[in-house]
Amino acid sequence: MSELLTILDYQFFRHALAAAVLTSLLAAMVGTYIVSRKIVFIGGGITHASFGGIGLAYYMGLNPFMGAAVFGIMTALGIEWVSGKGNIREDSAIAILWSLGMALGIIFVFMTPGYAPNLMSFLFGSILSVGKTDLYTLAGFFLLTLFVFVVFFRPILYTAFDPEFAKVKGIPVRTYRYLMSVIMALAIVLSIRTVGIILVLSIFTIPQITAMLFTRNFALIIPLAALWGVTGSVAGLFAAYYMNIPSGASIIFFLTIQLILVKLIVTLHRQVQRRSG
Amino acid sequence: MKEPLLILDNIRTGYNSDPVLREVSLEIYPLDFIGIIGPNGGGKTTLIKVILGLLPLFSGHIHFPSGKPKTGYLPQVSQIDRSFPITVKEVISSGVGTSGKLLPFLSSNKKEKVRKMMDEAGLGGLSSRPIGELSGGQLQKTFLCRALIDEPDLLILDEPNTHVDKHFEQELHEWLKELNKKMTILLVSHDIGTISPMVKTIACVNRTLHYHPSNQLSEEVLKVYNCPVDVIAHGPVPHRVLKSHGHE
Repeated sequence: MSELLTILDYQFFRHALAAAVLTSLLAAMVGTYIVSRKIVFIGGGITHASFGGIGLAYYMGLNPFMGAAVFGIMTALGIEWVSGKGNIREDSAIAILWSLGMALGIIFVFMTPGYAPNLMSFLFGSILSVGKTDLYTLAGFFLLTLFVFVVFFRPILYTAFDPEFAKVKGIPVRTYRYLMSVIMALAIVLSIRTVGIILVLSIFTIPQITAMLFTRNFALIIPLAALWGVTGSVAGLFAAYYMNIPSGASIIFFLTIQLILVKLIVTLHRQVQRRSG
Repeated sequence: MKEPLLILDNIRTGYNSDPVLREVSLEIYPLDFIGIIGPNGGGKTTLIKVILGLLPLFSGHIHFPSGKPKTGYLPQVSQIDRSFPITVKEVISSGVGTSGKLLPFLSSNKKEKVRKMMDEAGLGGLSSRPIGELSGGQLQKTFLCRALIDEPDLLILDEPNTHVDKHFEQELHEWLKELNKKMTILLVSHDIGTISPMVKTIACVNRTLHYHPSNQLSEEVLKVYNCPVDVIAHGPVPHRVLKSHGHE
């Protein structure tokens, strides 16, 4: 055990651990909103469109995550705007933005002179290279999101569940929907650092699905998803280090194995209860 | 003569730029109980959505002579996502008045109000039950409680008697009769047989609106208004199905 923990002597690993925990906590809140509203596909659109921003920022010599944030927010707001219109097919709009973002990203990266060494790290994450600034940004945004979820919990829940009724009750539904779109986009972009574009959606969905094996109460899914997110990602991170495999993929693998195990245990437990009852 | 609660003055409305309803005029008075009937796709839900302010007016006006009434709304159950992770208590709490501000937590007397309402409606034991695990009748009751918790002046119900059993229908009938002593009710249904004994008057909606100042739709009245409704077996109502008429 002590041998296992010697890795904690390294600063880069402590940073990675903190990033995994913070990402899991952030994704627990935002992911519960995404899964409850059944808008995982929108999350996919935001994630992939943000690659266009990464490419553009690369080309212009700017911070790639700033580019990703701008593209991510624009995509999220665009999708929300389209869904309010009613005369444009929302799923088609998402598909267009999804592939357009990827296409732009590839074009810009291709046009940038020299080799783009970090490209793979955006696609698959690079949690082991997380620096102090990254951690402060992640922690700051986590606290902001926590504040929004605590103070505006009821309007967030009510506008997600039944927007028409919320509107009848005088809640500014569109304002909350746009606010949540921005939070969703930023949470996704910040989590790209941990698990990468291709894998990021799973950290916003698998812990929630695991939590929903125990409860169907929005307010309780969040802390439970945080718990399952932290255990899965920390286990994945240790495994990645000791087995020398990519950390993003390892985290997703462990989150999934955890879901399957928990599902098995819950099913068996219920069967035993039914027999004895 | 009492002042109307709300006046629809020659309104035209619909979705996007497609008008579903045209030349609709109606005066609704305090303590009215109007059954809104008509064929599917005729615009019943559109009518209540425009009254609720959920749809824009293409033309015409809606007046509220003594100010906008406090409104309770029960949407069609089929519009509700039953797999959404929300509990009975939370759904009913979402109907509690906000008076402009929505605080993070309900005050203790409002919590008490929600608890009392659940007990009265027989939902007391189901408070933390997710809505996906409710029967049709329990779900309708939950949403009716959400509509009523704020003690509205105007109660708008869209097909409250779908997915429910006869027992609940009877209970709903008594409940609404009692509520009508305090509030105006608009009740949408495609099934006039069930609602005609409950309501005081009937509005037939099929692209436009005909108002019948009674709850009895005699053959003569149906002929005069040429109102297409599915008439289902019930005491005072003639048992027959009429053809569609020339509104479309």
